[in-house]
Amino acid sequence: MTDLLEVNGVTKRFGGLTAVKNATFTLKKGEFTGILGPNGAGKTTLFNILTGFMQPTTGTIHFNGELVRELAPYKIVNRGMARTFQLTRPFVGMNLLENVLVACMSPRASNDKDKEERASYLLAQVGLGGRDKEPVETLPYGDLRRLEIARALATRPDLLLLDEPFAGLGSGEIEQLAQLIRRLHREQNLTILLIEHKLREFMALVSRVIAMNFGEIIAVGPPEEIVKNEKVIEAYIGKTEDAHASA
Amino acid sequence: MLQILIYGAVSSAIYAMLAVGFTLIFGVARILNLAHGSFYALGAYAAYVLTSLLKIPLFLAAPLAVLLVAGFGVVMERFLVRPLRQSQLAVLMITLAVSLAVEQALFLIFGSEYRNVPSFVAEKLSIGGVDISGQRLLALVAGVLVLLTLWLFIQRTRLGAAILAVSQDPEAAQYMGIPTNRIFSIVIAISAGTAALAGVLVSPFLTVQPTMGLLPMVKAFAIVIVGGLGSIPGSIIASLILGYSETIVAYLISTSWTELVSLVAVVITLMIRPSGILGRRAAF
Amino acid sequence: MRRISLIDIAGAIVLVAILALAPMFVSSNYLTGVLTVCAVYGIWASSWDFMSGLTGRENFGHSLFIGAGAYTAGFLATIWSTNPWLSLPTAVGVAIAFSLLVGFPTLRLRGPYFALAMLSASAILQRLCLIFWEYTGGEEGLYGLDPLIKSPLHYYWFVLAVLVVTVIVLTLLAQSHWGLLLRAIRGDEATCQAAGINVTFYKIASLMISAGFAGLGGALYAHYQLQVSPPLFSVVVSITVIIMVYVGGIGSIYGAAVAAILLTLLTEMLRGFGEYRLWIYTLTLMLILFFLPNGLIAPLWRRLTERLR
Ligand SMILES: Nc1ncnc2c1ncn2[C@@H]1O[C@H](COP(=O)(O)OP(=O)(O)OP(=O)(O)O)[C@@H](O)[C@H]1O
Ligand SMILES: [Mg+2]
Repeated sequence: MTDLLEVNGVTKRFGGLTAVKNATFTLKKGEFTGILGPNGAGKTTLFNILTGFMQPTTGTIHFNGELVRELAPYKIVNRGMARTFQLTRPFVGMNLLENVLVACMSPRASNDKDKEERASYLLAQVGLGGRDKEPVETLPYGDLRRLEIARALATRPDLLLLDEPFAGLGSGEIEQLAQLIRRLHREQNLTILLIEHKLREFMALVSRVIAMNFGEIIAVGPPEEIVKNEKVIEAYIGKTEDAHASA
Repeated sequence: MLQILIYGAVSSAIYAMLAVGFTLIFGVARILNLAHGSFYALGAYAAYVLTSLLKIPLFLAAPLAVLLVAGFGVVMERFLVRPLRQSQLAVLMITLAVSLAVEQALFLIFGSEYRNVPSFVAEKLSIGGVDISGQRLLALVAGVLVLLTLWLFIQRTRLGAAILAVSQDPEAAQYMGIPTNRIFSIVIAISAGTAALAGVLVSPFLTVQPTMGLLPMVKAFAIVIVGGLGSIPGSIIASLILGYSETIVAYLISTSWTELVSLVAVVITLMIRPSGILGRRAAF
Repeated sequence: MRRISLIDIAGAIVLVAILALAPMFVSSNYLTGVLTVCAVYGIWASSWDFMSGLTGRENFGHSLFIGAGAYTAGFLATIWSTNPWLSLPTAVGVAIAFSLLVGFPTLRLRGPYFALAMLSASAILQRLCLIFWEYTGGEEGLYGLDPLIKSPLHYYWFVLAVLVVTVIVLTLLAQSHWGLLLRAIRGDEATCQAAGINVTFYKIASLMISAGFAGLGGALYAHYQLQVSPPLFSVVVSITVIIMVYVGGIGSIYGAAVAAILLTLLTEMLRGFGEYRLWIYTLTLMLILFFLPNGLIAPLWRRLTERLR
């Protein structure tokens, strides 16, 4: 297996606050990795840097062996790294099909000749089949998440970054969405990096966890080890109430 | 050399008076006021009407003109702009409609010929061998005083603190019990008043005619882009840059080239540093 | 976006037929002239709507492209005295060149910057026209352009045909995947980026298309007036165009064209009011802003034909 993503010494400062501190890790092709961390740990900031929405203060990022730092976000997407947003951002005033169609127009999807058919197929794949003409405004939260994933898949990514896809969903919905993600990983051999701040969701999903706290990577390893890691426990014990409240 | 120094300072002071109000109302109320040039023109015409037609002495007419225009600004914001604030395009359109209406009204009432306003100070002064009219010097002094007062007002008073709070986060300010709508009225009054004062001060030595507001509006906009939309110190620095570059260009090349200075400044700023010299946001 | 239905096509054919045949019933050169101006404004308004209506980046300096096109025609005719027909493609080219010139520094930015930058650019170009009066004729402008077609009626039909083609091309573009992207850009640029779309490219390209048609309209206008002068660059021209689009219903393109025709006719009828004309115009604008935030023409047409779709 080769390294798909290589993150080296990435740091991001906002004024006095260091949101990401010297992050270094790699992702191998086909790997399913989770990023774990309490609120404000810097997970979303790290995603924003990887996908070009923010420039790191220092550090380098190689994707497929190419330096992607300083590339515009849309260029990084067209190199094969797609993302979803923590707060879903659909195009309002458009139906589901049109929302996915936009991404089908990206240069990376240029081989898909019949864009409508492809968009429709993707909607079906994420479990929104037959609802092409529905407006996005009335869509429940869980379906918006699926729509985001369909849009990301439309750019035919090698690496899919999912920012807290389970936040705000009921346990039934979480199970369904987890199944969908697992299937994508297995059937399409997608490399996936998934943010979650509740340990429990990770256990059955990912093969490796990167744990963050206060902008720093505090532990890397399989989930069974991470649960026992002292630093992680410490980071979470400080937040026990939080963890219970949100669990 | 000294001539450039003095004339540049006069231009800068006038530009700063225009730009500060423009940037203030944007920074606080997010209103991009295309009628800002009208305040300036109205100030000049009010001074003309009060002095030449109603024969009111100038030292009374000037503050009266400023007050009248400030009142006009408040009414405009309250009844025309505020109901449409949700839509940026609607705000642009309505303020533009106001500026067109003002220009047309001035044209219908006064015609397109140039009007004269008497000077406050008729004497010519000589500083280090450079002749300068007292009126221009007065504009400089008044401009500096107005900006200082405004700065002290915003930094030192409770009302100023409230204005700053609204500009930083309108929602939070509202939760803290700051009456944002009242703040908007005060800010538009300040904004209109300073622009009108600039109009009153320049009217004796510039041409007073209905379309006089457009170019200063464009200049104020250029300054605000260069200085950073919403930043008062930025707009003062940019006023100095623009005022002096224009004076130097007028001195070295020709006055007709000065208009290009602001264009070049805007283009350079937008390309190198889109948020302006002291802008807070990366880009809106 | 709504697909075009048969009733839309029928409505368009009837309207174009009325416009084309009107001068034959009321044969007067005055009416033909007014209708020619109507059609030119239709081209300007629909070209504004394509870029600004779809992407939500309001261009307050459309007159820049209009003036650039008109002056190109003026220069070609008076200074180089080329074949007058050459001025149409050249005007398109020059207007597009200007759109690149102003679009690159300004379109990367969001919010009000673009509107204001375009407004300033057109105001400054108007000043430049006066500064370089030796070449541009200053306030007087350039005189003595040749008409493209001798017969005013035939010229009117030509301009009307150009308008029809403009509206068809822009509508097809707006309904294509391209238009979808422009509307997506209007919605959320970050999401567009995340969808792998080069937002700047599409914004610039749509501005180029918009400018090209505006410049074409400018040249047609120049060859109708047989002269060009600095007010073509004026803010009032841009605003008039925006008002027309607003009345037509932003983003509909056909609405902009119809509103442009109706408002131009209305302006002509108000000529009796002389100097109060612009006042009435401004007042109309204020009333529409307050009471018809979605415009008049397109919403009305949709309402009328709802049953027939
Ligand atoms: N644009 C920004 N400007 C300034 N500070 C920021 C910015 N974006 C994030 N931060 C700060 O950086 C820190 C990390 O934020 P980030 O959103 O990356 O956390 P997170 O791990 O994604 O948290 P959550 O679980 O709540 O999503 C926070 O303290 C946040 O306030
Ligand atoms: Mg986050």
